[in-house]
Amino acid sequence: MTDIYIPATSDTPEINFKFSNNTLSMSGEAYPENGVEFFRPILRQLQSHLKSLSGDTVEFNFQLTYFNSVSTKIFYSMFELLNEYAKAHPNCVLLNWHHDEEDDTILELGQDIQEDFTWIDFNAIVLA
Amino acid sequence: MLDQSLLNQSRAGLSEIEAQYIASSLLQICPPVSPGQTNLDVTKLLNEHPDLISIAVVEDNKPIGLITRNIFMEGLAKPFHHDLFDRKSCIAFMDKDPLVVEQNMSIQTLSFKVLGSGRKTLNDGFIITDENGDYLGLGNGEDLVRVVSFLQAEKNRLVTESINYASIIQKSFLRSSREDMSAVLQDYFMHWEPRDKVGGDYYFCKKFDDGFFLALIDCTGHGVPGAFMTLIMASFLDHILVEDNRHDPADALAIMNKKVKMALGQINESAAEGFDVDRFSAKQNGQSDDGMDTAFCWVNTQNSTLTYAGAKTPVFYIGNASSEVQLLDPDRKGVGYIDTPMNYEWTNQQLPLTKGMCIYLTTDGIIDQIGGLKKIAFGKKRFSTLLQEHYLKPMPEQESIVMQTYYDYQGKQKRRDDVCLMGFRF
Repeated sequence: MTDIYIPATSDTPEINFKFSNNTLSMSGEAYPENGVEFFRPILRQLQSHLKSLSGDTVEFNFQLTYFNSVSTKIFYSMFELLNEYAKAHPNCVLLNWHHDEEDDTILELGQDIQEDFTWIDFNAIVLA
Repeated sequence: MLDQSLLNQSRAGLSEIEAQYIASSLLQICPPVSPGQTNLDVTKLLNEHPDLISIAVVEDNKPIGLITRNIFMEGLAKPFHHDLFDRKSCIAFMDKDPLVVEQNMSIQTLSFKVLGSGRKTLNDGFIITDENGDYLGLGNGEDLVRVVSFLQAEKNRLVTESINYASIIQKSFLRSSREDMSAVLQDYFMHWEPRDKVGGDYYFCKKFDDGFFLALIDCTGHGVPGAFMTLIMASFLDHILVEDNRHDPADALAIMNKKVKMALGQINESAAEGFDVDRFSAKQNGQSDDGMDTAFCWVNTQNSTLTYAGAKTPVFYIGNASSEVQLLDPDRKGVGYIDTPMNYEWTNQQLPLTKGMCIYLTTDGIIDQIGGLKKIAFGKKRFSTLLQEHYLKPMPEQESIVMQTYYDYQGKQKRRDDVCLMGFRF
């Protein structure tokens, strides 16, 4: 699977999915007018990549400051995917949730994710 | 009532305007020359018509090239060229591959063609023919830019007028809520500020003998699609409160959920949630997945209780007894969305109201707005602190303070979402 790199725009995040070493990173903001169109091809690749793995550890770095409700839904299905992988391969998904120490909004969203996707190892990281 | 005079002011539709302006709108009748004519003939013609930029060369009514004044004059200005070329065919200095377009070509296609053929066409112009390819005249870049700008301005005007009018409709839908609100509340404010003139944020208030129902709604999307959703939601809610049980907000949410899912066909058919399910297929993307986040409140004025059920939208309150802002936390499922089960049940929470207690409702537009030095969300903490500091002031004053703080925080950042905020003192 080839790695994906998409630079950030004002309303889409930077996507840096290094499938080659199972490090997936996303940062910036997400509120594109048609979020589904933007994320669909990326998530399809993520899905087929995860299917091809058997117990490799996947690290996900999530560092967004804003995402709209459509993007939230998309991220939920993405985390669901990772959660299912982690269910089949326990302790194999680490989610690093980067947030500013004053950003209670993003932290709270992270806590929701942590609560909903129990197979994923959740790690909140305060941005320096 | 719709104001018909406003509708009448609207002129042609977008597509009509486009059809009106085609390549022939730029047509200038210019005398052509034939290959049989000499460069001397061309010189005479150019001298007779000092405003001509170019002259087409036409053979049997078909254009075969374009002579440009500048290139022609420069060519002849060289030493001995008059002697050499004056009596020769005018094709010597012609561009053999000018842009030739048919008169019915749309302005948009023409613009792309002109840009695609490089600077020369913008400067020298292009040839316009009839349907058979017979020469009609010339068009030039300056006129094209003028028409394109005009079309742009005209389309903007139409879209803006259309949205302005949509805004009038959306506001008129809010009127009865505004009236009921001012009838049941004394000290309150209602701040509705869609990001794009119309939007997906909405409020609802309905007065009954034993109390009033209050809702703050955040439908998916903003702009016109968001506004469509609010009208659907408002009419559903109106029916539910009259026909069903207004004392039970959780149940109202459940009924609403079913209605929205049914109306928009947002039912999750693939019960299988396996790892192999192709959840990002193009097929699933054709389907809508719209709904709302909301706070539903029934305020019983006889026994002074607020019953709340929330879909991702909390209630902030601050009482007399303690001056700490507290929250009623919502359930985390939105209403109507595909991933919300058909039979999902929300929960009611009771809040005894004491005189002077302040209640605030807000959609996520304020809380999630990016701003400040760190470019992070405004946040609930900042919002709560603000309420804490100012809750003793009259509500309209609090509105100004909160909104001013919010605008300052947003600073030069783009507005991310619609904003809807209300507060009242019991």
